[in-house]
Amino acid sequence: MKQEALSQFDMPWLPISGLLIFAICFGVYTYWTYKKDNKELYDHAAMIPLAEESNERGN
Amino acid sequence: MSTQSMSQGGKLESFSYDDEIVRFFVIATLIWGAVAMLLGVTIAFQLADWHVNLGLPWTTFGRLRPLHTNAAIFAFCGNAIFAGIYYSHQRLLKARLFNDVLSRVHFWGWQLIIISAALTLPFGITTGKEYAELEWPIDIAITLIWVVFAVNFFGTIIRRRERHIYVAIWFYIATIITVAVLHIINSLEIPVSLGKSYSLYAGVQDALVQWWYGHNAVAFFLTTPFLGLMYYFVPKAANRPVYSYRLSIIHFWSLVFIYIWAGPHHLLYTTLPEWAQTLGMAFSVALWAPSWGGMINGLLTLRGVWDKVRTDPVLRFMAMALTFYGMSTFEGPLLSIKSVNAIAHFTDWIPGHVHSGTIGWNYLIVSGILYYLVPKLWNSKIHSLKLANVQFWTATIGLVLYIISMWVAGITQSLMWRAIDESGKLVYPNFIETVVKIVPMYWVRAVGGTLVFISFLVMIYNLYKTAKAGVASPDPVFQAEALNDSSLEHNASSHRKLEGWPMIFAVLSLVAILVGSAIEIIPAVLSNKYIVKMDVVKPYTPLELLGRDIYIREGCYLCHSQTVRPMSHEVLRYGKASEAAEFVYDHPFQWGSKRTGPDLARVGAKYSNMWHYRHMYNPREVTQGSIMPRYTWLFDNKTDYQSLPKKMSVMKTLGVPYSQADIDDSIKNAEAQALGIKNNLVETGGPAEALDKEIIPLIAYLQRIGVDYGKSEVQP
Repeated sequence: MKQEALSQFDMPWLPISGLLIFAICFGVYTYWTYKKDNKELYDHAAMIPLAEESNERGN
Repeated sequence: MSTQSMSQGGKLESFSYDDEIVRFFVIATLIWGAVAMLLGVTIAFQLADWHVNLGLPWTTFGRLRPLHTNAAIFAFCGNAIFAGIYYSHQRLLKARLFNDVLSRVHFWGWQLIIISAALTLPFGITTGKEYAELEWPIDIAITLIWVVFAVNFFGTIIRRRERHIYVAIWFYIATIITVAVLHIINSLEIPVSLGKSYSLYAGVQDALVQWWYGHNAVAFFLTTPFLGLMYYFVPKAANRPVYSYRLSIIHFWSLVFIYIWAGPHHLLYTTLPEWAQTLGMAFSVALWAPSWGGMINGLLTLRGVWDKVRTDPVLRFMAMALTFYGMSTFEGPLLSIKSVNAIAHFTDWIPGHVHSGTIGWNYLIVSGILYYLVPKLWNSKIHSLKLANVQFWTATIGLVLYIISMWVAGITQSLMWRAIDESGKLVYPNFIETVVKIVPMYWVRAVGGTLVFISFLVMIYNLYKTAKAGVASPDPVFQAEALNDSSLEHNASSHRKLEGWPMIFAVLSLVAILVGSAIEIIPAVLSNKYIVKMDVVKPYTPLELLGRDIYIREGCYLCHSQTVRPMSHEVLRYGKASEAAEFVYDHPFQWGSKRTGPDLARVGAKYSNMWHYRHMYNPREVTQGSIMPRYTWLFDNKTDYQSLPKKMSVMKTLGVPYSQADIDDSIKNAEAQALGIKNNLVETGGPAEALDKEIIPLIAYLQRIGVDYGKSEVQP
């Protein structure tokens, strides 16, 4: 089965390119997300659903 | 830092939310949910006892099953998604929906689409592609209404008073973008008439596009929007922020990137290129990580409030929904591992898996959302916590019965299919032996499904009483600061800025899903590179083409596959393993995804015309114990020969090598072939009046399936 798979694997550039794009993007957004500088902003973002009503003044 | 302390620098503005449209969608969710589940229970009983098909064309399994899936996915889940999105979107952005008229057009347009589905599918008006059965005029309507939804959605983002686009909205954006891409590409077809079209794609190409769509319909209609809703409603119900906002970002991008690659796991061991199958499997396994990341993030949001899960129906339903999400997203990748898939594919294990997601995840989280929304939208309190409790346990027990019975049925049947004795022969050569064995499990499934349906009715009653005790008051007016001209925060991080650019964010989401899509679509486009055409494989004759359309109309593909996998037990049972070149004229492909009955890829010339004639009239005449419905109307309906020239012209446009003479003589040739079959039937005791009835073209098609290659000397 493995040999069969490899023998028909005649477009390796396609999945490899996709995989590389994914790996690079994953690395970049993981780095951005977990950068210490961003902690405060994300803490704020996490509160948006809870803050939404207290931030508004109903008439 | 709280939101209140973040000055946005704008003037204070008054605004209100459009909650009336949310109420509309909530009511539609309840109505269509009941319809979808009633249909599901009906077809479950039809599989347990064929009499429940009622002997009518429009109540037969093959026609009701697409109606059930479309109602469950697009009517029930669709309306629930729109209700949840419109409620949360306004509040997360502190802005009324972009345009009230667009909201109403969206609502009524979507209901019209659902009604159109209900008025076409039972009458056999179908494209024959699973989960995309609706014909081209409805496809166009879906596209238009989806655009209305998108304009309303993005217009609201533009008018927002909150800089940051909360992660729930990212999931909504990915849903809107991806569903549009999936729907448009998979629905490309050429119309023959108002109610008939042929897919632009054929065979392997069609299979690849269809399951890229089918898999991602699950991903981007039943998963991402509900994950977005989870990220809003779970923190709201628990009154605490999501466990890790950072994890939600990783969850989002990983899920959107990876999910789209996994479609080929529906086509393992078929004639799809081997590398595409392996890739689909690998990325399906990789999906474990983001799926469980999301589930854990949701469940850990309940840290510190687990005591409330015991008493608060909203949290209880959401906690159970997340648990089932975890279980079904564990099972999905497991099923896509080739060695497991070899056992599970085509068996009842797959509907068991599907329903652990649709009932366990979608229905239960919708229940949680509705128990949150209805008291707020109607200014009331939940009518009865006891009834909510009854609903919870009835649904859970029903679902467990459903899943376990399907596991048992699936594994039992698969092991029987595969059993080979010492002399190299099948232990159970008659397929019907493997069907009769699992019928008791079909009864258990039907009972489980009935319990789930009853639980839904309990919820409808409970929510009706809740709404009746309150009043849908006019939309309250709120105040919030407007944003500056720029929606960007200065000195913000790059990703943070990105989150402030909704359109660029949407484009990047599109790129993310297109990368994975390209992996699947490029091989489909270049399929000629893999498929060497066989001279022995010829286009269908006019009569066979008519018969194939009847086969599609009756939904035969929902119980019978048309692809023999390269496995010893399948080759022993059915014949030569299928080759890609066999399907080059199949618009659409009919490989199916389930073998309630045997595979038909090599059924051509296997039985006599009279056998098929008797089988379609009463399957139990030739196969004792069969659960197949009777198709008596095929013996009354007249064959529509007049549609042939147009059908063949469209096929020619699609690349099927019919000559102009073939098209011009199509009716004459079809009638001649029909006469031959009729004469053969008469010789074996059949009636002469069958000549112009639909049973004749159907027999012609069945006798042709897989013959060109299957009966030829050509070796694999």
